[in-house]
Formats: sequence, C-alpha cells, structure tokens
Amino acid sequence: MTALQNLTLPNRRYSLGLGIAGAALKYFKYWILAAVALAFLGPLALSLSTEIDLATWFYTGNIAKWFTAFVAGGFLYALVPNMIAAGMTRRELSVAMGVFGLLWSAALGALVFAGLLAEHAYYGAMGWSQGVKGDDAVTVLGSWGDTAAFAAVFPLLYLAYFAAGAVIGAAAYRWQNTGWLLLFPILTIVFSLDNAVYDTEPFGPAWAGVLGRFMDDWGRGLVLAGTAVVAAGLAIAARRILIDIPLRSKKA
Amino acid sequence: MFDDGTPIYRQIADQIKAEIMNGSLEPGGKVMSTNQYAAFYQINPATAQKAFRELVDEGVLYKQRGVGMFVADDARERLAADFRERFFERVLAPLVVEARQAGISLGDIIDYLEARHGDARGAVKSEEKGARQ
Amino acid sequence: MSFSATLRDVTLKYRDGDALSDVNLELEADKIYGLLGRNGAGKTSLLSLLAAFRKPTSGEVLIDGQPVWENAAIVSRVALIREGGDFDDSDTVKAAIETGQIRPGFDTAYALKLAERFELPLKKKVRELSRGKRSVLAAVCGLAARAELTMFDEVHLGMDAPTRDAFYKELLAEYMERPHTVILSTHLIDEVANYLEEVVIVDRGRILRHEELEVLQDMGATLTGPAAAVDEAAAGLEILAEQQLGGTKSVTVAAFAPGTRERAASAGLEIGPVGLQDLFIHLTDPSRNGARR
Repeated sequence: MTALQNLTLPNRRYSLGLGIAGAALKYFKYWILAAVALAFLGPLALSLSTEIDLATWFYTGNIAKWFTAFVAGGFLYALVPNMIAAGMTRRELSVAMGVFGLLWSAALGALVFAGLLAEHAYYGAMGWSQGVKGDDAVTVLGSWGDTAAFAAVFPLLYLAYFAAGAVIGAAAYRWQNTGWLLLFPILTIVFSLDNAVYDTEPFGPAWAGVLGRFMDDWGRGLVLAGTAVVAAGLAIAARRILIDIPLRSKKA
Repeated sequence: MFDDGTPIYRQIADQIKAEIMNGSLEPGGKVMSTNQYAAFYQINPATAQKAFRELVDEGVLYKQRGVGMFVADDARERLAADFRERFFERVLAPLVVEARQAGISLGDIIDYLEARHGDARGAVKSEEKGARQ
Repeated sequence: MSFSATLRDVTLKYRDGDALSDVNLELEADKIYGLLGRNGAGKTSLLSLLAAFRKPTSGEVLIDGQPVWENAAIVSRVALIREGGDFDDSDTVKAAIETGQIRPGFDTAYALKLAERFELPLKKKVRELSRGKRSVLAAVCGLAARAELTMFDEVHLGMDAPTRDAFYKELLAEYMERPHTVILSTHLIDEVANYLEEVVIVDRGRILRHEELEVLQDMGATLTGPAAAVDEAAAGLEILAEQQLGGTKSVTVAAFAPGTRERAASAGLEIGPVGLQDLFIHLTDPSRNGARR
C-alpha cells in the first residue's frame, strides 16, 4: 500500500483507509471491468432474441450491493488481527474502515450513477426502454431526470450494505462460531429498506425482504432517511464491537 | 565457548586477566568495548559490562569517560600477587583433598612436582635455544 | 525513549479459567528479558496484555508508565511477534512487510535487507511459505519495526539451527545499535540464555521468579555423595529434586545457605552446577508446587 509510506501517527488512520480503498479497488479491478463490460454488452446479445425493456445496470448495481457487504466484512475480518498486530488501535482501525466505506461507496455509487446515465443514452440510441421492475409493474425511466434521481440513491445504499458487512465481519471475528448469525437480522433490515426505496425487487433472497410489508406506506423520503439512520446505526455498532475486540490466540 | 559452572561475566573477567598475564594485553592498552565483547561472544552487553565493572573494582582496568577501558599500569603486578595469594587455596587445597581420597602420599606429590618442574625448565631452555637458531 | 513495562494486580480470565491471576511485574527499559514457562503457563497471555492484543479482566497494564490499551502513541512502538506472524495469507511477502509501514518508525530498507539476507522470496504469497520461512518473515518484521518494546513469542518455531543463530545475532546487533526493551519467550532456554539480562518464569498464571540471569544461574547446585552426608549438608535448604542410586545420593537445591558450600566441600561431596534448563524444569515441576492448587 503506497499510501502507508511516510505517514505520521495522527493521520495514519486516514492513510490506512485510503490505502485499503485503493488496494481493494485495484484488487477487484478486473471484476469491476468485467461487470461494466457485461452491463453494456449483455443487452446487445440479448437483443438478438428478445426485446430489451429492463435496465441491465439496475442488476449490476444490485449485485454490487452484495459485493460491497462481502468486501466490508471480509476485509475487516482480515484487518483486525493484522492491523492490531501491526501496532494500531481499534479506534484507528474503525476510523480507517469508515474512510474505506465512504470511498468505496462513493466510487461504486459514482460508477453505477454513470453507468445508468450512459445506459440511458445507449438505450435511447438503440430504441430500447430503460425499465425497472417493481413489485407490481415495470417503471420506465423515461427522462434523464428520472434516471439520475433513480441512480442517485445508490451511494447511500452501498453505505448501508458496507456498514452491514462491517458489523457481520467484526462480529464473526469476535464471536468465533456465532458472530456470523447477525447476518440474518441485519440483512433483513437493510434488504427490506432497499426494497422499499423504489418499491422494487432487488436481487436477493425473498426472506430478507420480509420487513418490507411494514414500510409499504412509508414515503420515499422516510425510507431514505430510515436507510441513512440504519447505515449510521450499523456503523456505530461495528465500532462498538470493534472497540474492545480481543485478538484471537494463534493456537486455538 | 563457556563452561557451564561459572557465570559468563566471571569467565570473561578471567580471560581478560589471563590476556594481561600472558602479555597479549599491555598495561595502558585499550580493551575492546562492551559491545565488541558482546558481539564477539554473542552475549548480552550487560554481562560483558559486569565483567568490566568487576575488573575496574579490582583495579585491573580503569575507565576513561568517553574513550573506553584501559589496562592499569600495575595490572600485571596486581594480578600476579593476587594469583599467588589464591594459588594455594584454589589449586593446591583441592589437590590435597583428592590425593588423600586416592591414598597418594605427600612425598609422591612432591616428587612428581619436582620432576615436572625440571621438565618445564628444560622445555623453556630448549625453546630459547630453538629461537636463537 | 525505550519502554518499561508494568503489570499491577493483573488478572486475565478466559471462559475456561484464569490465564493469569494477580500478576505484578516490573520490567525496566533497555534490557533483554527471557520469558520462560511451560505450555499453558500464561506466557502468551502475558505478552498479549503488554501488546494490548487483549484487555485484562482486572488490573493495570502500563507501558512507559502509561496505560497501553488503545494508546496509539504506545502501541505503534510496541511489537509482539507471534508464532507464524499475523499476516494476510493472500498478500505477497513484500506486501506483508510493507504493512509494517503503518508504524511511523518502521524501517523498510532494513526489512528488505534482512529479507534478502534470510532469503525470503518477496514475490511469493505468504501462504506459500514453509513454516520456517514464515517464522523468518515474522522475525524480520519484528526487527524492522524498530519498536521500543519488542516481544518474540516462540518465533523460532520452524527455523532451523543456523537460521535461529543468525536471528539471535541480528537481534543482538540491532539491540546494541539501538538499545530497547526485548522479551524473548522460548522453550530453547539454553540456546538464548547468553543473550538475556533478566529472566521471568511464569508458572500456572503467576510469576514464579523474576531474577537477573546470573542469580538464576548461580542459584541451583547439585550435591552428590554418600546419602547421609548429602542429607546433612542439604538439611534446611529448599530441595528441588533428589535421586538415589545405592548409597549415593544426589540432591538439587535451590540455593545454598551461608557456609553450605564449605561444609559440603569438606565433607567430600561433589558440588555441581545446575543448567538454566534443568533449574527451570525443577522449578516448574508440577509435583513440586502442586499443593498450591
């Protein structure tokens, strides 16, 4: 991690966050490139046999949510012993994770935002319809404004998924055999909120969306506010789990 | 390099004394530093320091602040006197005990020592002769 | 600059019992310590507390006089190297070394120099390393951390004898160049004895002894001779072990009382030294202090 060179003690938490974000994006760059390529070329291939009426980037963006949770959890799980053994405090690590989460969510959010807008132009040129499948019907993103508004919520959703992954990763390290079970309640909350944002059906197991029925009457603003609150709450929870985490012994 | 029984710092002190006695360390000469000793023998520098401290206390070495350790001018005389003093106690006393256990008479020991002493003198002489040739 | 370490009334409980109970320990700065103890005695727990890998259940852990827990200024200059190191196995060796740069004092050039000397393959993945090479990588990272308190916990495992020797040499050279506090936890006592200034023996979660190396080395002695004479000489002394073969008896005592040596010598008993390893074995023999629990 080049970001770690010539750092100072007070700022190293930020350097580490920056370094991890850079390393993670670099590590997954081919996956990301492949996903982008597939998002543009996929519909082209499909158009040979069927009519294109759904936004491929919607699916790409949804898969990236699970990917985000996985990256947050996996990285934190590995970073806890490594960075504490390298002489960092748990507080510093939690700040670094926060920086990583913000940068990661911003980067993927920006990518999906750009992807959806580019798709809008692309579909327009091809004469396809950029639609999003909801619970009852397909909503067509008819204008640039529709697409931009739809795409703008992704960074927030990534943050929520990132925080969820971080809680699960920290818990799995801390409670060796049982920690990962937090996955069920946490993903249920996040996934249901996600569903509720656009009344859509994001990619994922149906059970995880069970809470959606309680949010049916919520307005979009309330759902988004709820998502932000949940993301913040999960981030605080991850920090709480992390803050006095003991390192596991080598010979269990 | 070291034997098990005696503490290492004492062995190092003894070794420095031996070097002074046999002339490889000259009076007024500089002694290697603690760290050099530590690196050479692969020991903790504090152990080497302990040896030096003991030798300074005995007046065999003296310390010049910031320069290093030096052999005292009268170190050899001191050691020789010291050695003579302890020779009987350290070398001869156990010998008497062992000889008694083995049933060797005092006369036999004296005869043996005299014979060895003669040999040693002869050896020194022939060595000197050899050196002259 | 270099760090002292203090434990005050420290207890560490695990779910299955106490790892350390009521430990008090004072380690001065700038010395090399040996930490000895049987498996499960609490060595690793002790080191984990000093490095803030764990939080004590009760009591205080101070490094350089300050609480170590969550103290970035301190832990960034404390290094605990555990067996096999704490690495991301999917990293390359080079990346694993560079992770150390999170410490402002880390010396990358020195790390790379050591890596070359110990023939570490920089481009290989950590998971592809043999156990010995992995230990070497951990040791290299520990040395290059240039910490003020550096602890090696059984780091020699898997290293062959020449590598261990080279590691001790390097450790001593680094120590002399830049005095700092070092703790070596090991089972190969005689191998490291000469490098140590003080020795701490942990036994069943307590500090059994904390002495200068010479005190321990001077401590034990064996008296061998006729059983009656040995018994008389050893009367009233702390006996660590005894053995009898026919009429000859051998007794290992912890320390002589004034005059014992002379009396034993005049009684014709053979007086032998006790190596540190043997002394350690005797001191931590469960049948000896078993009554305490």
